[in-house]
Amino acid sequence: MIADILTGAVRSGTSVMLASQGELISERAGVINLGTEGSMLAGALGGFAVTVWTGNPWLGALAGGGCGLLLSLLHAVLVVGFGANQLATGLAIMFFGIGLTSFFGRDFVSSQIVGFNPVPIPLLSDIPFVGGILFNHDPLTYLSVLLVPAIWYLLFRTRLGIMVRTAGEREDVLFASGLNPRLIRACAVLAGGFLAGLGGAQLSIAYTHSWVENMTAGRGVVAVALVIFASWKPQRAMLGAYLFGAAQALQLTVQQQGWAISPFFLFMFPYLLTLAALLLVERRKLSRTPEALGRVLAGDPGG
Amino acid sequence: MKLSSSKSSLTGIIAALLAVIVFVAGCSQPGSGGSSGGANSGTAEAGAEGSAAPGSGGSAVGFIFVGTKDDYGYNQAAYLGSQAVEKAFPDLKVLRSENVPETAEAERVMEQMIKDGAKIIFPTSYGHLEPALNVAKRHPDVAFYHQGGLKTAANLGTYFGTIWEPVYLAGVTAGKMSKTGKLGYIVSVPIPQVLLNVNAFELGAKSVNPDATTSVVFTGSWCDPGQQANAVNSLLDGGADVISQHQDCSKTIVEAAERRGAMTVGYHADSSALAPKGWLTGSEWNWPDLFVDMVRTAADGGFKGSVYDGKYRGMLKDDVVRLSTFGSAVPDEVKAFVEERKQEIVDGTLHPFAGPVKDQSGQERIAAGQAPTTDELEAMDYLVEGVVGSIPQ
Amino acid sequence: MSLNPSPSVAAPAGARSAAAKRLLSWLRQLLVLAIPFALFGLFLLAYGVDPLELYGSMLVSTFGDLYGFGEVLLKATPFVLTGLAAALPAKAGLVNVGGEGQLAVGALFAAWFGVFYLGGLPAWIGIPAMLLAGALGGALWGLAIALLKVKGRLNETITSVLLNYVAVFLVGFFVHGPLKDPESFNWPFSPEIAPTLRLPIFDGTRLHVGFVIAAAIAAIVWFVLARTRLGYRIRVLGSNRLAAERAGMRIGRMYFWVLIAAGAIAGIAGMIEIAGIEGRLRATTGANFGYLGFLAAMMAWNHPLRLLLTAFVLGMISVAGNTLEIGSGLPASAVTILMGLVLFFILGGKRRRG
Repeated sequence: MIADILTGAVRSGTSVMLASQGELISERAGVINLGTEGSMLAGALGGFAVTVWTGNPWLGALAGGGCGLLLSLLHAVLVVGFGANQLATGLAIMFFGIGLTSFFGRDFVSSQIVGFNPVPIPLLSDIPFVGGILFNHDPLTYLSVLLVPAIWYLLFRTRLGIMVRTAGEREDVLFASGLNPRLIRACAVLAGGFLAGLGGAQLSIAYTHSWVENMTAGRGVVAVALVIFASWKPQRAMLGAYLFGAAQALQLTVQQQGWAISPFFLFMFPYLLTLAALLLVERRKLSRTPEALGRVLAGDPGG
Repeated sequence: MKLSSSKSSLTGIIAALLAVIVFVAGCSQPGSGGSSGGANSGTAEAGAEGSAAPGSGGSAVGFIFVGTKDDYGYNQAAYLGSQAVEKAFPDLKVLRSENVPETAEAERVMEQMIKDGAKIIFPTSYGHLEPALNVAKRHPDVAFYHQGGLKTAANLGTYFGTIWEPVYLAGVTAGKMSKTGKLGYIVSVPIPQVLLNVNAFELGAKSVNPDATTSVVFTGSWCDPGQQANAVNSLLDGGADVISQHQDCSKTIVEAAERRGAMTVGYHADSSALAPKGWLTGSEWNWPDLFVDMVRTAADGGFKGSVYDGKYRGMLKDDVVRLSTFGSAVPDEVKAFVEERKQEIVDGTLHPFAGPVKDQSGQERIAAGQAPTTDELEAMDYLVEGVVGSIPQ
Repeated sequence: MSLNPSPSVAAPAGARSAAAKRLLSWLRQLLVLAIPFALFGLFLLAYGVDPLELYGSMLVSTFGDLYGFGEVLLKATPFVLTGLAAALPAKAGLVNVGGEGQLAVGALFAAWFGVFYLGGLPAWIGIPAMLLAGALGGALWGLAIALLKVKGRLNETITSVLLNYVAVFLVGFFVHGPLKDPESFNWPFSPEIAPTLRLPIFDGTRLHVGFVIAAAIAAIVWFVLARTRLGYRIRVLGSNRLAAERAGMRIGRMYFWVLIAAGAIAGIAGMIEIAGIEGRLRATTGANFGYLGFLAAMMAWNHPLRLLLTAFVLGMISVAGNTLEIGSGLPASAVTILMGLVLFFILGGKRRRG
C-alpha cells in the first residue's frame, strides 16, 4: 500500500513538479508568476493538439512547452517591460489562459491520441519496492527527474545561474557589470513558462491522454506555493511536488479503506498539507528569499 | 497610489451612480417581500392570462447544459438529443448554452432564451431544477422539461431514465468477468443518482458472485482527468480488475484502465472504441427519440395531460436507457446470461432492488419481497452491503 | 504593444493647463479600455460574429429595459463586494484573492443561521442578523489568511488561493451533510430560508436591494480610505511600507484587521447571494464571483467607487457571454478572453513612474 501511494505520488506529482521547477527559475530571478496555471493549461492544450495533428508526442511535448512560454511572454512583457504588479498580472494571465484554452480546446475534448506510456527501465524496474515507484513511468517523468539536478547545476554552478540569481538579488550589481537585469528576468520568466507548459503537456499527453477545459484544476497555483515551501531549491521543490502527489494518492487510498471519514475532508487534505508544509518551513527560509522577490511578497506594489 | 488626476472624474462617477440608483428606485415598487419561493410543486395554476398551452407557438427550443458537449458523457448525451430536435424541427431554432452553473445564474440564461423566442426549455442538470421552477412560475406559457428532477409544476415536467437498470446488468457482467472479485467505481460526489448506480452495480455483481465487492472512490469533481487517472491507478493498485464510473466526462478513465490492461465499464456513452481489449459493456442514455417526441407534444399544445406532464421515467423496455454493446472480452455465455437478465427486467420479472437489501452497516433497507418505487430509489442515501467506501451523514 | 505611454503624459506638468492634462488622462483611460474591445472585435469577426452587433445588443439589453438593467446590476452586486475584498487590502499593499472562499464561507454561515436560528424572526431583525452571520463567516476565513500572514509570515496571495479550494470543499461537506435539506430527496443543498429573510425585490425584475447594500459598503470603504486618519495610514502602508514602519505603525496589526475586514465584506456578498437570489445554499453558490470581483478591483485600480463602474462593466460582459453563446453558438468562454484583454491593457497602462 505504501508503495502504491509513493508510486501515485510520482505519477500525479510530476506535472506539478515540472511547473514548480519552472516557477523556481522565474522566482530566483525575482519574478513570481501566478500565470503558471495558465501556462500549464496552454501547454496541456498545445501539447495535446500537436499530438493529435502529428501523432508524435515528443513534438507535442515541445509544443506544450512552447505554448506555456508564449503565455508567460505576456507576463514578461507586462511585468518586466511595463512594471505591472506581478501578482495581479499573474492572476489575469491565469484567467486569460483558462478562457483561451476553453475556447480553442473545444474541438479536442473527444480527440484520441497515442501519447506517452510508461516505459519500465530494464533491470531497475524489477527491484522490489523501489523499482515500481521509480522506474516504471512515462519518458517525460524520467526527463523531469533528470531536470532537477540539471536546474540545480545551472543555477548554482554556472555563470548563467549566477546571472539569474543576481537579477533576483542585486540587480545593481548586474548593471555595474554591464548586463541588463530586465532581459535576464524576462528570459527566466520565459523558461518558467516553458517548463510549466511542459508540465501541462505531461498531464495531457502522458498521464491522462485527454484534454478537457480547466483540466489543471489548480495544480499551477500549488506549484507556485511549493516553490516558496522549497525555499527556492530545486530538490526541495521536487520533494514538495511529490508530497502533494502523495496527498492526492493517499486520500484515494484512504477512501478505499471504508473508514467513516467524509470524502470532503479528504479532498481538502492536499491543500491543507501544502499550507502546513509552507508554515513548517517558513521560519527558516526568510533569509534565503531572493531579495527582489521578498519585496514583491512583502507587498511592494511594483515589479 | 495615483489618485491625483481622478478627483474630478470621481465626482462624476458618484453623480452617475446616484442617478442610476435614484432611477432604479424610482421606477420600481418597494419589494414584494414574499419573492419567488420556487419549490411549491404543482400548485401554481397555469395561464392566468394565457389560454395558450405551454410550449406551443414558439420559434425556438432552449437547452442548457452544466458542462460541455464533447465530454463523452452526460452532456454529450443530452447534446445528441438536442441535435435530433434540430433535425426533426427545421422551423425551430435550437438555442444552447453550455457550462451553465447550477445556481440562479441558470435563471438568467433561461429568461434570455425565452426572450429569444423559446417556448420549450430543457434544463438538463439536476441542479437546474430550482431555477427552472422559478422561471416556470413567471412564464406559464413556456413548457419546461427538466432532466432528472423530483419536483414538478403546472408547466414543468421532469424526465429521466432508469439508468440503474442497465447499470445493474453491467454489474452482472462485471461480477461474471472479474477474477479478483474486486470492482472499482469512480464517482464525483455522493448524490442520490450516484449512490443508486453504485448500489445497482454492486447488487448486480453480487447476484452472480456473492463475494464481489465494489470500492467506490469520490473525486470531488465531475470532470478532472488528472484525478480520474489517479483514481484508476489507486483502484487497480488496490486489487480491483474492473473499473466503472459515474463522471461527466468518461474518456480518461476508460482509456487509462485500458492502458493498464484492466476491464472497464462505461457510462453515459458507448466508449467501446476507446478500449478495444478491456471494454465489457456500459450504460447509455438514448435521448434523441424521446426529446423529439417531447418537443412535438408540447409544440402541438398537448403538454397538459401528456405523459411528460409530471414525472416521466423512461425504462430499459422503452429504450430510453440502454445497455452498451459488449466488448470482445466478454464470452458468449456471459453475454447470453446477461441478455437473459435483461429480458427479465424488461418483462418485469426481475427488479434489481428486490429485497432483502441491506446497507453497509448490515441494516435491512428493503424488506424481503418488497420492491422500492422509482421515487424511493431516486432519493437513495445509503450504500449497500458489499460497497467499500464512506459517505457523509 | 501599442500602449507605450506617450511621453506627453509623463511630461512635466507645469507646461500644461490642468484641463488639458485631465483631458489627456481621460483619453488615455478611454483608449486603454477601447483597444481590447477593438481587438476582441477582430477576434469575433474571425469567427463570423459581427462585433458591432454584439456590442450593440449588449448595450440594448442592458439599458433597453428595466429587466435587463436589473439583470446586470444583479450580476454586478457580488463583484462589487468581492472586489472590495481585494481593493481594500490592495490599498494596504496586500493581494487578497480569497474573496472566492470568503464569499463561500459567508454564504455558508448566512444559510446556516438563516435556516436554523433566524427563521422565526421578523425581517427587520432577521435580515441584518443574517448579514452579520455572513460577515462573520467571511471574516473567519479572512482571519485564517490574516493569521497565516501575520503570525506565520506566509504570503497572503498564495494562502488565500489555497484556502479558496478548501472553502469550496467545506461548503460541499455541509450541503452533503449537516445542512442538507431533509426534504430534498437527498440532493445536496440546504433547506430554503424563510420568506421573511429574503431581500425585497424590485417589481418586474429579479433585482433585490443587495446592490444598494453593496454600493453603500463601497461608499463607506471609499470614505474610510479617502477621508479618515485610518484610511490615510492604510494608504501610507500600501504605498511605502518602510515609511509606515518608520512612522511607528504597527504593520502586523494593520494587515491583520484589513484582511479580516476584507473577509467580512466578501462574506456579506455570500449572504446577499443567499438572501437575495438563491434562497438556499448549494455546493456551487457564488462560484467564480470572488475571482471576477478581483478582476473588477484590478480594472478599477482598487478604487472603491470606480469599482462600482467596473463591476457593472464586468456584469455586462458576463451577461453578454450568454447572449453570444445563445445567439451565435460561440462558447461563453469567449468573453473570458475579452476580460483578459481588458485587464492586460489596464495593467500595462498603469505604468509606475519614478
